[in-house]
Amino acid sequence: MQKQRELDQLIRSVAESGEKLPVNERRNFLKNGLALLGGAGVAAAARGAGEGVPPGVPSWTRSLGSSVNTNPYGMPSPHEAHVKRRTVEWLTADKIASVSFTPLADLKGIITPSGVVFERYHAGLPDVNPDHHRLMIHGMVDRPMIFSMDDLMRFPSVSMIRFLECPANGGMEWRAAQMDRLQFSHGMLACCEWTGVLLSTLLQECGVHKDASWILAEGSDGSHMSRSIPMEKAMDDALIVYAQNGEMLRPEQGYPVRLINPGWEGNTCVKWLRRLEVGDQPWYHREETSKYTDLLPSGKAREFTFVQEANSVLTNPCPEKPLGKPGKLWVEGLAWSGRGRIKHVDVSFDGGVTWREARFTSVVEPRALTRFGIEWDWNGNPALLQSRAVDETGYVQPTYRQLRDARGSSSIYHKNAIHTWKLNSDGSVVNVQIS
Amino acid sequence: MSRFPEFAKRLGAVLLLAAPVLSAPALAEKAGHYGYGTPATAEQIAGWDIDVRPDGKGLPPGEGSVEDGEYLYEEKCALCHGSFGESVGGYPALAGGDGSLTDPRPKKTVGSYWRYTSTLWDYIHRAMPFTQPESLEDDEVYAITAYVLHLNDIVDYDFVLTQDNLTEVRLPNEDNFIDEERPDTNNKRCMKRCKDPDQIAIKSEAAAYVPEGGPDALYSEHEPEEDAVVTTLTGSGVYERHCALCHADGIGGAPKVGDAGPWADRIAKGMDTLYRHAIEGYTGDDGIMPPKGGFVNLPDDEVRLAVDYIVEQSQ
Repeated sequence: MQKQRELDQLIRSVAESGEKLPVNERRNFLKNGLALLGGAGVAAAARGAGEGVPPGVPSWTRSLGSSVNTNPYGMPSPHEAHVKRRTVEWLTADKIASVSFTPLADLKGIITPSGVVFERYHAGLPDVNPDHHRLMIHGMVDRPMIFSMDDLMRFPSVSMIRFLECPANGGMEWRAAQMDRLQFSHGMLACCEWTGVLLSTLLQECGVHKDASWILAEGSDGSHMSRSIPMEKAMDDALIVYAQNGEMLRPEQGYPVRLINPGWEGNTCVKWLRRLEVGDQPWYHREETSKYTDLLPSGKAREFTFVQEANSVLTNPCPEKPLGKPGKLWVEGLAWSGRGRIKHVDVSFDGGVTWREARFTSVVEPRALTRFGIEWDWNGNPALLQSRAVDETGYVQPTYRQLRDARGSSSIYHKNAIHTWKLNSDGSVVNVQIS
Repeated sequence: MSRFPEFAKRLGAVLLLAAPVLSAPALAEKAGHYGYGTPATAEQIAGWDIDVRPDGKGLPPGEGSVEDGEYLYEEKCALCHGSFGESVGGYPALAGGDGSLTDPRPKKTVGSYWRYTSTLWDYIHRAMPFTQPESLEDDEVYAITAYVLHLNDIVDYDFVLTQDNLTEVRLPNEDNFIDEERPDTNNKRCMKRCKDPDQIAIKSEAAAYVPEGGPDALYSEHEPEEDAVVTTLTGSGVYERHCALCHADGIGGAPKVGDAGPWADRIAKGMDTLYRHAIEGYTGDDGIMPPKGGFVNLPDDEVRLAVDYIVEQSQ
């Protein structure tokens, strides 16, 4: 212990001396110090001491910064490196057909930065050459067509802010509280501005037969992900997307082109989209029979449960964002509904006995994440925090009991129950389920 | 089918000859409103049109026996799915679970849960084997499908699955799928005295998550935000951000961090060589190390820190 304390002291003094040096020298100094001390604890010391807070003046105020275009494509500050996708090792058999989660606790507003949108692959992330990529539309159409990326981008474009959620989001919570942080309990969720051409535009271009009623969407990755989409959705708001948050899609999100079915299961939003076949019945492929069907207590299973129903969760506080000292606090969270706009969000601090309506702090778009917030005067006692979304159809986010009464606890998908965070008096937050 | 391309070529030649004779308006009628894109030929469609429906539409000619399927399955499928379809290492089980759908832990397999035989053929054909999708011949897909059916006691060992009899093979759970019936909950927007506070009990609790930085991150010690900050100047940090992409899993021939074997020879060349290769790039027998892993703006010092870290982890 004594040795450790000495070491800590040494590290701190190294870091403090480093603070007084210009950036480049400081980097060398720290590096040398690091080599000297074996690295442990330097990080902690560097941030704990001499930050240049008033009346001090930090090093970056007294030296030149780097030149323009040092980073031709800018990245987040290195100090934000903890804001990243993470995985749950035990969840899948391998890392190729697997999932990573959006760091919801650290995000602001309603737009998910493209680089941290959750990933879901069934055969890994393909490296698609856009010059060679084609989208084929055929089947019950007058004119079977092949579109290059250049072709697709000539059509009138449409942009919309919509959430994207894996229907298995929160699926690990059906039987009991399980995931220890927000990133894992709700992180198969994102919201982006998607730009592309309406699927209806392309279908009209090809001339859909009158008796056609379903479309098979298929990806060009090794899994050839395939889902049957009803014609009504295809002709409504389904979007053939090539851009996300102002730039071309990220590879992880289906570069160069994917399908987005707003408000519907993320799995139907086929990535690396290569083919749309128009038909008159569903294909009943693996991802719409063996998977993505909701098994009920009766042994029957619901199929084609496309819509992601209204849901919400508090993002601050949450396990990753424990609370500070008691007093006035700004509590906030996200709400979303696959059926349209969020109408109200209510927040409870006593496990659902009393509710207060929160206010929206973002734009309220249909089928988009909506941010809400509410002020709370915390007295420092343990509390049970919940949020409850109501959408424009009047649907009220259900309790776990209501959800289990209707569907049991084996359906894996579409868990949208009111979520409870237990706040301890030390400010820590734990995922719980209550009666 | 084999004659088709030749026929198409001839047809194409005829159309080409005929094209100048067609009037311009006749061609215009054929195009869509915008006229973008290229008409898909039958041959192009055939190359990609792999889907199969429950009514058999899309099934190619072919056949495969349970017996042939057994050998193929052992070679190509058993590693992940188990010799009896019981599952290995978390990959999907293909057999068993009969009558388990109402159990607390249902076991969903081809025999206990899947709806149509066509789905099995389609999926094996489109996505299996996991590491080599679309590598199987049609007859091999019939054979493996037949064997998986046999593993589920749905067909006998002497059964031969064909294009013609596939739709007749019914799976036990076919009739247990129902259409969407939602919303199926009816919560009310109660605001006050919505439940009895004395009846509230914690039914389950996830393991407590300790924020990065340890328990000290909680307010009782100091402000949580401070511990969320990660410095750039540690080898592990640089590694996580810039190197782990390839070196964590060995992507593109990159030696995996922690694998002493592949690193021994490299480390033997000396740190200066390792630094130089990492900074300037290097082409080896197993693959290419791009300069600074492609992060050209990374300061040399940080690359060296990452190399130090990797070596430390891989000795």
